Amino acid sequence: MTTRDDNVVTRSLAQIGACGLFLVTLLRAIPRSMRHGRETIRQIWFVGAMSLTIVMTCGLFVGMVLGLQLYDVLSIFGGTSATGTVVAIAIYRELGPVVTALLFAGRAGTSVTAEIGLMRATDQLDAMEMMAVDPVAYVAAPRFLAGVVALPLLAIVFCAMGVFGGHLVGVTWLGIDNGTFWSNMTAAVDVHKDIIDGVLLKSIAFGIVVSLIAVFQGYTTPPTSEGVAYATTRTVVASSIAILALDFVLTSFLI
Amino acid sequence: MTDDAIVRVRGLTTVLNGKTIFDSLDLDIPRGKVTAIMGPSGTGKTTLLKHITGQMRGDAGSVEVDGENVPALSRERLFALRERIGYLFQNSALLTDFDVFENVAFPLRQHTRLPEELIRNIVLNKLQAVGLRGAARLMPTELSGGMARRVALARAIVFDPALILYDEPFVGLDPIALNQVLLLIRTLNETLGITSVLVAHELAAVQKVADHVYLVANGKVVAQGSPDTLATDGSPWTAQFFGGQADGPVPFQYPAGDYATALGFPGGKA
Repeated sequence: MTTRDDNVVTRSLAQIGACGLFLVTLLRAIPRSMRHGRETIRQIWFVGAMSLTIVMTCGLFVGMVLGLQLYDVLSIFGGTSATGTVVAIAIYRELGPVVTALLFAGRAGTSVTAEIGLMRATDQLDAMEMMAVDPVAYVAAPRFLAGVVALPLLAIVFCAMGVFGGHLVGVTWLGIDNGTFWSNMTAAVDVHKDIIDGVLLKSIAFGIVVSLIAVFQGYTTPPTSEGVAYATTRTVVASSIAILALDFVLTSFLI
Repeated sequence: MTDDAIVRVRGLTTVLNGKTIFDSLDLDIPRGKVTAIMGPSGTGKTTLLKHITGQMRGDAGSVEVDGENVPALSRERLFALRERIGYLFQNSALLTDFDVFENVAFPLRQHTRLPEELIRNIVLNKLQAVGLRGAARLMPTELSGGMARRVALARAIVFDPALILYDEPFVGLDPIALNQVLLLIRTLNETLGITSVLVAHELAAVQKVADHVYLVANGKVVAQGSPDTLATDGSPWTAQFFGGQADGPVPFQYPAGDYATALGFPGGKA
């Protein structure tokens, strides 16, 4: 007997399967999408450069609040000189890539889903098919590639702003010695483990997942206004869950 | 049936969600003519166009376009065939990021490496043909429905296709725009020798432009002929469709169970 829960599980598994098949189609279309290099660059500008404001602002405040909390806790043990170190490691290993990916899903992922979904609803994708232009290569692949390229760059900017925020609170406001802040941090942070594995590897993985979900949801949305609305919501929900679950998996392998 | 047919449909059977759309449908589209496909709403006219372009595949039967069996074509060969087919969508389906000029130039830019000056000349030539050269730099959102359809028509003929398919080209047009579109369909057919297939409901418009009409209902061709003879042939199908009768061979009621039972009255039929 089929229950409602069975249906939800079955539907979710079917969605994941369809998403995997779409990824294969997408990867096969990428060589053909290289013809549309200008479109890919335009999309990097749109999803990357246009997301800078929110990423920089949030990075600054995350670094500031982290600096404040850590200073408060570390002062109990007389270890405030470690504030910079802990801010940097927390941001590089976890908060930088994770929060940037969540912001990216909300800012850029939703707009990609809505844009492609509306193109579907207004027959623009079918029109391309009828003009013998593959919409996966022309529309989906450039947006996917743009997300994979933009997210690591945004994560680097987020991390830089976060450390700057921690410095602003710890050194400028609360009076930690500037030399101690930087020297402790540079001594503790490992380029390979914290920057390459922590920031870059994770954000590339998140970039692939978020961009895939956003493009897939838009491309397969029912061609109605309600369908586009649901698809946009699903992009945020599915991306958020995927980011946090993948973060746990990646961390367990990298740590 | 026609010897020189550009589209040849044989035994096409399509079932969608348990509903039979086509039941062994046979149909020929004569080359160089304007053929109208008419029929009640939901009878599968647009679906038939999608079979011709390979957007959909039937459960049985064949659809040949210019000698090629469409359902059997690989994606590459299907795309090559589509370069010879123009398709006018009911809602025009213009690319909203591009202006009128770039919409018409889009297929040329995607499939050729023509110099910019030649692309410009071809695009302006097509826009001149539909009377919208002056609107080249307008965005799709700035166009009326009739103008958008003419831009879509310019885009559909930019490669001088052998076959052009019009999906409901007259819907929502005022009398002036309607006559403009009618004139364009006829002119393109006569001057460029394009075969035209149009899906429409408007008998008056079809009578002005079409050489041959197929009336499709219940998954089959129920009547065919010239627009004038068809309107007066006296069969129950044509009498109902062209006479606009609410009930007849095409029932008013969508298939349903017993009404009294549905309302919960005792004694209703099981």
